Amino acid sequence: MRDLLIRYRFLLLAIVLMLSSVILYSYNLRQKDSTTFFERSILTFSAPFQVGIDGVADFSKSIWNDYFWLVDTRQLNIELNKQNQLLHAQLHQVEEVALQNDRLRQLLAFVDALDHPALPAQVIGEDSSTWARTIVIDKGADAGLKNGFPVVAAQGVVGRIIKVAAKSSRVLLISDSSSDVAALIQRTRTRGIAHGLGENLSIKYASRNADIKVGDLLVTSGMGGVFPKGLPLGVINSVEKQQFGFFQQVEVSPSVNFSYLEEVMVMIEVDK
Amino acid sequence: MILALYLALSEKLLRALVSGLLLGAMQDSFSGTTLGLYVSVFLLIILSVHLLSDHFNTESKPLLVLLIAVATVLQNLLLVFFLALFADYAPPSHVILFAIPQQLLTNTFFATVMLLLLLRCQQFLGNRSGLAGLMYQSKRHVS
Repeated sequence: MRDLLIRYRFLLLAIVLMLSSVILYSYNLRQKDSTTFFERSILTFSAPFQVGIDGVADFSKSIWNDYFWLVDTRQLNIELNKQNQLLHAQLHQVEEVALQNDRLRQLLAFVDALDHPALPAQVIGEDSSTWARTIVIDKGADAGLKNGFPVVAAQGVVGRIIKVAAKSSRVLLISDSSSDVAALIQRTRTRGIAHGLGENLSIKYASRNADIKVGDLLVTSGMGGVFPKGLPLGVINSVEKQQFGFFQQVEVSPSVNFSYLEEVMVMIEVDK
Repeated sequence: MILALYLALSEKLLRALVSGLLLGAMQDSFSGTTLGLYVSVFLLIILSVHLLSDHFNTESKPLLVLLIAVATVLQNLLLVFFLALFADYAPPSHVILFAIPQQLLTNTFFATVMLLLLLRCQQFLGNRSGLAGLMYQSKRHVS
């Protein structure tokens, strides 16, 4: 028996170990949620090594990817930069179109409210002198424009056409010194003449006793035969009464900021 | 305006006046409401400068720049005068007068730059009789 054990000792040891591992496995199958002392020890002992090995592996990988494996990256970078610039330009273009869309919507809403047919036009030029206030628009006789047609923007009256060429027209702004527009104060219906002063307007012939206050809205009266009634001209910004005289001095800020004017509407038929 | 002055100094009177007339008409087309205002102003400036140029050394660069400054002021004063005299509305004198310093600066600066460039580029452009402000080039220079 002893000889038999000695002869088959390795085989027996293997069978014992095999059985032990099967029993251990079978036991641990029922203890899935618990960690054995052995497992805990191994995990604790190996953790720092794993962290170190992982760090080295990451470092090696990053060195390889970031420094050695850069075939075509420069070319790709150039192409992406170009693409980026193109997209930026397109984005600016889209923003510009959106802004223009907003302005045109406001303009159309304004003209729709007036119930007059109107023709849209772009401002393509300004007056070359420092003292005259005129602009040039990109529509002319070919589009059916004639002298005297009123020009408006979403904020109010711009002026009227004074010179017409085939494909462009010159518009006299209401702020020009030679411009006079029949007007009235919206709140009190006081009549007057809105006269251009270069930057602002003044109200000529505003009676001394007329009730005019700062902040009042000045609109067209429709009496001049050029502009329809009720279009905003500006807001009163100062009222002065001299000691003597029949009239008071009233200054008006135009509703339209002529410096930023880009699109306008020409009213092509006005009731007279 | 600088061009009108240049014409007055460099061209014969008739040619200067005709050119000034065209220049003024062009300026009138781009500004204001009435054709003829800048025509009159430019013609008067050309006439004045042409008459006075015989008494000045028009070859002097500083004098030319000074002349441009004086002509700028004169142009604006003439504008106010003509508007006050003929226009059926009160001239925007305050607008015109307030713009004078800005115009003076711009005109004198660009006149100086143009004069310097013209003198530098003269050798590449070749000689031409009657170029104002260029030493030994004026039609009035007697060698």
